[in-house]
Amino acid sequence: MTRREVLKQMYAVVVAVGASSFLSFDDLLAMDKGEIAKPNLVWLHGTSCSGCSTSFLNVEGVPLVDILTEYTNVVFHPDISLATGHQVTDMLERADEYKDFIFVFEGSIPMAMPHACMLGDKPMTYWVDKLVRKSSVCIAAGTCASFGGITNMEGMVTGPKPLADFISYQGIKKPVVNLPNCPMKPEQLLYVLFYYLKTHNTPELDDEKRPLRFFGNTVHERCTRHDDFTRKKFAKKIGDEGCLFYLGCQGIVTKNDCPINGHNGNTNICIKAGHPCIGCAGKYFPRKIMLHTYDDKRPNERFKVIS
Amino acid sequence: MSKKVTIDPLTRIEGHLKFETTLNNSGVVTDAKCTADMYRGIEKALIGYDAKVAQQVTQRVCGVCPYAHAEASALALENAMGLKLNKNGYLLRNLIVGAYRLQDYLLHFYTLSALDFIDITAITKYQGKDSGLLALKDWVNKELKSGKIFPAAPFLPRYEAAYTTNQNLNISAVKHYLESIQAMAEIHKMVAIFGGKSPHPVAIEAGGVTTRPTVDALMKYETLLKRTKAFIKDAYVPDVKAVAKAYKEYFKIGKGTGDLLNFDFMPDENGENFLFIGGSTINGKFEALKDTKILESQKYSYYKDGKKDYAPMEQDSEHPLSWYEYEREQKKSNGKYSWSKAPRYRDKVVEVGAVAQVVNTYKSGHNPELNRLVDSINTELGIKLSDYNSVMGRHLCRAIVSLIVVDRLEKDLNKVVPGELGFIEKEVPKNASGFGFTEASRGALAHWIETDDEGLIKNYEMIVPTTWNISPKDSKDRAGAVEQMLIGTKVADANNPIELARIVRSADPCIACSVH
Ligand code: SF4
Ligand code: SF4
Repeated sequence: MTRREVLKQMYAVVVAVGASSFLSFDDLLAMDKGEIAKPNLVWLHGTSCSGCSTSFLNVEGVPLVDILTEYTNVVFHPDISLATGHQVTDMLERADEYKDFIFVFEGSIPMAMPHACMLGDKPMTYWVDKLVRKSSVCIAAGTCASFGGITNMEGMVTGPKPLADFISYQGIKKPVVNLPNCPMKPEQLLYVLFYYLKTHNTPELDDEKRPLRFFGNTVHERCTRHDDFTRKKFAKKIGDEGCLFYLGCQGIVTKNDCPINGHNGNTNICIKAGHPCIGCAGKYFPRKIMLHTYDDKRPNERFKVIS
Repeated sequence: MSKKVTIDPLTRIEGHLKFETTLNNSGVVTDAKCTADMYRGIEKALIGYDAKVAQQVTQRVCGVCPYAHAEASALALENAMGLKLNKNGYLLRNLIVGAYRLQDYLLHFYTLSALDFIDITAITKYQGKDSGLLALKDWVNKELKSGKIFPAAPFLPRYEAAYTTNQNLNISAVKHYLESIQAMAEIHKMVAIFGGKSPHPVAIEAGGVTTRPTVDALMKYETLLKRTKAFIKDAYVPDVKAVAKAYKEYFKIGKGTGDLLNFDFMPDENGENFLFIGGSTINGKFEALKDTKILESQKYSYYKDGKKDYAPMEQDSEHPLSWYEYEREQKKSNGKYSWSKAPRYRDKVVEVGAVAQVVNTYKSGHNPELNRLVDSINTELGIKLSDYNSVMGRHLCRAIVSLIVVDRLEKDLNKVVPGELGFIEKEVPKNASGFGFTEASRGALAHWIETDDEGLIKNYEMIVPTTWNISPKDSKDRAGAVEQMLIGTKVADANNPIELARIVRSADPCIACSVH
């Protein structure tokens, strides 16, 4: 395969994630010749489950390694880097030596208990503060980093803050892009990376710092069962046809592009799998009740259902 | 003069792990301390939640093996409900968890471990025509000349050590390292076909699987399964064997206690006759799993309750140390040092994981196919079952499990009745309790649930594979399983302690799981 063919293959990824409107094949050629500088990338885990990193590995089309070496310089990723131990802390301490770097953060930052997330004998608060200050742009990968998610569910004691809150709490001004989804969709991250590469800016965001391109609509608005909803054809139990509203579907209050771009290269989405949307990309995920039966008689006032 | 060697953080595992070892004059580890460095507190936070929320929340304990938590949580609630699934329920669940297991083992071998054995810089001498490898070769060469602060990151820097010089092995493994990423993405698609998405499949619920298995979904799964099987047979297993042959000494390095524990995994369509049989090997003697005599120590864990050991569900709250108390422990020479607790089975430090599944099932004689496979591999590599208690044994057992699981998936797929829902709805029982035991990728996993008089969660508990393996010392001051694997190891170069990294990674620790 020639170099040009390799690049063509890569361009398929640009098209697949919807970035071809601003990143042309010629841009890619220019990048290959070193005419467009690749940004550096530093990725850290706060209190996370690594699901967003695992999801990132699923990116379609071209081997991830090509994407990592062609579009960015990955200075550090906890699950990919060969660097171990003090080599890592050295790299992170020298963050101010990298020009133009993107900071990707997964999980949240335990503020009430800084010792609940440590790296190199220093709390995550130290590392995030340091890296955010030196970075050009920050990306909150997944619902935990965007809104708190599982780490901030009611009953948690670590006092976690999502990335954007932490940044403003520290009095830092830095552009942040939130990519909620539990786990993050790899296509969305790639889109933001490509956009930054080309424009040195973030794509258009909503009030919650989410790219409008993905979070402009609720799941409900574009759901394949929306027609059932308007015609009041409701499922009474799992396995039934019809809208899943009465089984606790959160699609109505959850902004996301799942019906258009599902998970795993659009292989499936929750609602197609017969399961109500659990609102995994929403601000109030996880709710105290997520799935209940059609004729659930329990006193629901006890569950705070915030919408 | 003894010397301290600390690795913090250990990368290419799940989560935040630090470990500290003491080396004697001859460079041999005499003491080891593993620190799980992250805490969330998920299980007790669940109290007061709808019981059905537990599955969705607990699978988010881990983004690498969420399937296992989803299954354990569903099993626990089904146990409380007294519910048996229908045939499609069991089969579809197997298709999700079995596939996920394969993905996880490829991830562990290629992404997380292989480059501890394989020399990635061998790519600079690559002479072949593979476009992916040529691109990587070009890139590495360019990087090395670039004058950057950290050229060729994320592949450099690394621990410099005597990596294998077998060029064929290096190139083949690097090629598969690249290809495995796509193979893993395809397996995640298999999971998503019936699970909804991956990671974090929604569709495994108490009652079965919510996805109706259509003919086209089954066919799509079959196509991906064929490709997966080919990758496992033609790339993964040969690579593991080749690494094992190149690093024979690693069948002697990283020995644990030899006491093993595993739970049942992958039932047949009637919920019986498991593919891997649960049991324990204590002092070399196998016993089928009868009861679970588990006690958890918190003496060296960052919680206030350290005076006694607790049985599962004995506590309904958790009391993590404050920052001030934490700092005080750090200053003590014998203070608490990990967020992980220290579970012990029948008062033994046990290892869990693929070795336990293979060795215990082998000894049970329950799965003749597995025994034949183990025997033939042992002959091929010139090793014995006792050699499985080692770094290489752990890698090899994951490969063995993968072969057994992939064959089983083919059989289960053919048994699924198209169109028939594998899900039975049942109300959450009030004032009930249940447990769910299964095998996660990293070993024995248990969830317990108790509901209150409204069917809400009254108490929840998980004892997770890595909690067993990475545990700190217990109330009797016995070191945890991985700590014991480290002790006795000779480190050639204290500045590049690759032996220690290889040992810890061979246990595939997942800190998000272990502490949750
Ligand atoms: S299934 Fe959910 S998202 Fe779809 S139409 Fe019904 S309520 Fe809306
Ligand atoms: S359908 Fe809902 S729960 Fe499922 S991935 Fe989309 S936002 Fe998350």
